[in-house]
Amino acid sequence: MIRRLSFVGAAVVIVVIALVAFVGLFMLRQPGPLEGTTTTLHLETVAAVGQALEWPRPNDPHPDWVGYLPTTTWTVPANSTIQVQIDQEDGATGLRNPFWGKVFGTEGGNMHVTFFDDKGNPQEGDMTSIDPTQAAHTFAIPDLGVFVPLLGVNPNAPAGSTNVITFSFKTKGPGHYRWQCFVPCAAKTIFGNGGPMQTIGYMGGTVIVV
Amino acid sequence: MVRLLIVWVILSAIGIAGVLQINYPPYDQSIQGQDQATTLKLLTALATPVFLAVVMMVLYSAIFFRRTSRELVDGPPMLGNTPIQIAWVAISSILVLFLAVVGIATLSSENVAQLVGAPGRTIGGGQTGGGTTGEENKEIHVQVIAQQWYFTYRYADYGGVETTHLYLPVNHPVELHVTSLDIIHSFWAYQLGVKADANPGVDNIFHVTPQKTGSFQVRCSELCGLWHGHMVDSEGQVVNQSDFDTWIAQQQKDFETIAKAVPSYAPYYFPLPLTKGS
Repeated sequence: MIRRLSFVGAAVVIVVIALVAFVGLFMLRQPGPLEGTTTTLHLETVAAVGQALEWPRPNDPHPDWVGYLPTTTWTVPANSTIQVQIDQEDGATGLRNPFWGKVFGTEGGNMHVTFFDDKGNPQEGDMTSIDPTQAAHTFAIPDLGVFVPLLGVNPNAPAGSTNVITFSFKTKGPGHYRWQCFVPCAAKTIFGNGGPMQTIGYMGGTVIVV
Repeated sequence: MVRLLIVWVILSAIGIAGVLQINYPPYDQSIQGQDQATTLKLLTALATPVFLAVVMMVLYSAIFFRRTSRELVDGPPMLGNTPIQIAWVAISSILVLFLAVVGIATLSSENVAQLVGAPGRTIGGGQTGGGTTGEENKEIHVQVIAQQWYFTYRYADYGGVETTHLYLPVNHPVELHVTSLDIIHSFWAYQLGVKADANPGVDNIFHVTPQKTGSFQVRCSELCGLWHGHMVDSEGQVVNQSDFDTWIAQQQKDFETIAKAVPSYAPYYFPLPLTKGS
């Protein structure tokens, strides 16, 4: 009897230790990088953040400033594919450096664009570059080598039209990566480089890779 | 006094031997960088005895001429010492003039120039350059274009191809033409020993000859706006000639998609039109 109880007692102790070890190891485990995951970023670029179609900020201190919406701080997983959709509502300003009219760093080296032609008809297709004079903004994360020009809405498009740009890119390891626009798109500032181009929350921000 | 002099000579010898062992920045990835490091080493070696003499004099005075009583009295009158005055003026003058000559010689070897004038001049064949020249020691012309907040590069001898990173072939002289598209920046390739103002409308010319393969960092050293601190590219590379040829060929191929939209190579640019973004 005592012998049997001893076996049971020993078994219980072993099971308890195993359970405690299992739970303890689970609690201590650090989350690893999310290899192979895909995250979606849905963004909007507008001529005036106070008048955006999707995420308007009428109470913004600068409602007439150009900007990315709904936010300019994006958190994405490391070593992952990020699928981006940008609803681009702004007209063309043109790039100062036409070189940025080319797409860099996306998967496949291109982007898919739905846009309106000179007759106001909807069109779509894959592009590796755009006419630099027709760029409204760029989506650029220099430290990740990602540079994507965003085609401006054709003035002949129906009112309220939006170009939709989709592409995907891969993130590197964890860290903070700045992103910016390369189009001098800050209206009413000298050379278009002031105001929203120099203020986080409009045409620049941070990609937080975790 | 003689003992003090002996101590100073011994300390100076030890000090000079020590500073000569230090590896000085910007090290030796380029000939120009190595010249700068050598000059810095020479300056430090010559400054060491002077530094030690000053420190010794201060310590000696503090110890041996310290106030011994609480009474406030003047020290003994100093009547001057003509030989010592002549000696320190002469030695200082010789040292300063020598260092000035060395510094000017080093700067001259960098062969710095700055051109401001009417745009339109092409270099190295300009936009119509035909690719690899194949000629040894012929300078490669690379234009550094600063813009908020990134540097791009145009290789005049390779059809004006523009790239997002700076690659240079080892042991090949390079003429850098530094300019800006918008505001004042400064191109600083620290390991190469090159730091050049990047101004719109100015073609700032520097020469560099990389002599060691490896990576180098490019950063902006002129406060230039929101993302100035992030205007850094750590992917600059000095590579051997065959790797460079392969890389530049790939860049030329990639560039084809945008080449027609990019204007012809020019020595510098202006942030025009003023109404951009308005």
